[in-house]
Amino acid sequence: MLDVWVAGAAMTRVGKRTERLQDLMAEAAHGALRAAGVEAPDAIVVAAMNPEEFLGDGNFASNAASHLGFAQAPALRVETATSSGAAAFYAGFGLVAAGLRRAVLVVGGEKMTHLDTPRVSELISRSIDPYERSYGATMPALAGLVTRALMANGVGARELAQVAVKNHANGLQNPQAHFRHAVTLDEVLESRMVADPLRLLHCCPISDGAAAVVLTARRAAVRVAGIGQGSDTLALRHRAALTSFKATQAAAREAFAMAGFGPERVDVAEIHDAFTPFELISLEDTGLVPPGKAGRATLDGETTLHGRLPVNPSGGLKARGHPLAATGLAQIVECVWQVTGRAEGRQTQARVALAHSIGGLATNNWVTLLTAA
Amino acid sequence: MIERIDASRCPACRTIVAPPASYCPHHPVAMEPVSLPGAGEIVSFTTLHSPPTGFKAPLHIALVELEGGARFVCHGAETRGLRIGSPVAIEAVGRVYYFSYLGVVDRARLFWRRAGHAGDRVNAIARSLAKRVWKG
Repeated sequence: MLDVWVAGAAMTRVGKRTERLQDLMAEAAHGALRAAGVEAPDAIVVAAMNPEEFLGDGNFASNAASHLGFAQAPALRVETATSSGAAAFYAGFGLVAAGLRRAVLVVGGEKMTHLDTPRVSELISRSIDPYERSYGATMPALAGLVTRALMANGVGARELAQVAVKNHANGLQNPQAHFRHAVTLDEVLESRMVADPLRLLHCCPISDGAAAVVLTARRAAVRVAGIGQGSDTLALRHRAALTSFKATQAAAREAFAMAGFGPERVDVAEIHDAFTPFELISLEDTGLVPPGKAGRATLDGETTLHGRLPVNPSGGLKARGHPLAATGLAQIVECVWQVTGRAEGRQTQARVALAHSIGGLATNNWVTLLTAA
Repeated sequence: MIERIDASRCPACRTIVAPPASYCPHHPVAMEPVSLPGAGEIVSFTTLHSPPTGFKAPLHIALVELEGGARFVCHGAETRGLRIGSPVAIEAVGRVYYFSYLGVVDRARLFWRRAGHAGDRVNAIARSLAKRVWKG
């Protein structure tokens, strides 16, 4: 297996955008190619979760490639629900590591704020098991079930709320973030109930945006040290545990085994906090924090920008925003910026970064490890 | 009356799922049909305040562990006083399953069936009473 390097990374500002998805993808892709000093990629991997329903566009690998000005480049599309961006990164990594391609453009994006919230919620919920969906289960509903079980295990309301407070504080420093305002503990604790005991300010927003990286066999500033995928049953009712995600645990094991080091070497992490309880669960599933300690560590400030292990310096899904298929790549872009000293205003002292992405209700998850060369 | 719920069991790992599935989620083998009593314990529950189109707010959804092991998703009329671990009965209203608090009679009937042979029953009743007193 060849070493794989991230030669360039770029993303759009996340939020309510009026541009077409193809134009958002072009902004990110051309930015990443410029940063990499690569004129044209050997291949393109495109991540888009559901452009068929959100936009009415299909055959999206060719659609995006043609729009980007690379109609002749071999292009394919990867989809694993909300982790599609991480999955596309994995596919691009595989192409380069196998020696099939020398320079691969990986670009992901989603455009959905032009639809009303119930419609967006319904489309996102199609990644849930059909039987559970037939009972009205949405992503927040399943996350509500997980959150109640987590709280029964001793995780407190303040611990869940503090994740949102921290990630909003980080988003304030990130010019690409969807939300650039602070929230207080009380605001989170008093926000409207969405799916008891999950509240509105525990949840990430609906966002538009795109992100891209260029992966090369040629040495560059950032190396992909490890990457792992894990999966679990589509149905939540087919799982024995609600308060940990096997898919993350398997992905982390695989990524750390490839990297040849453990979680203690990680300096900064981007964690999939679509709902704040997921940040606590995932910190433990990845081994970054010992089991049962993530809530306490968060309240103690260990995961702030200046803490022992900064988590979601970008603001996370909570504040940077969650443009579905862009998210897994946006996390990697942030990690690249962190380990190369380009995260202006929110820079941490990091040489090793971890990105963690959840697909669906943790049915198809990724952990990616990046190191400064 | 306790209803029966259609389920299926994996001949390889004995995993039971409800409603029945063609294949085990963990093995590529056909599952065998089984039926489970429509009673169990609350694993978790939530209330959706803005449910999807076609559902009325507030929408109570629960995950219930049925006797026999399978976990089951159902609706409920209310969640007041409900806790993780609460015993519930599952009933079909039309084609939709609802949980409700398990009545005393139903609990006794379930207990009776679980206790098995007459000789064991007396012991089991004594154990259960002792446990209840001890727990307060």
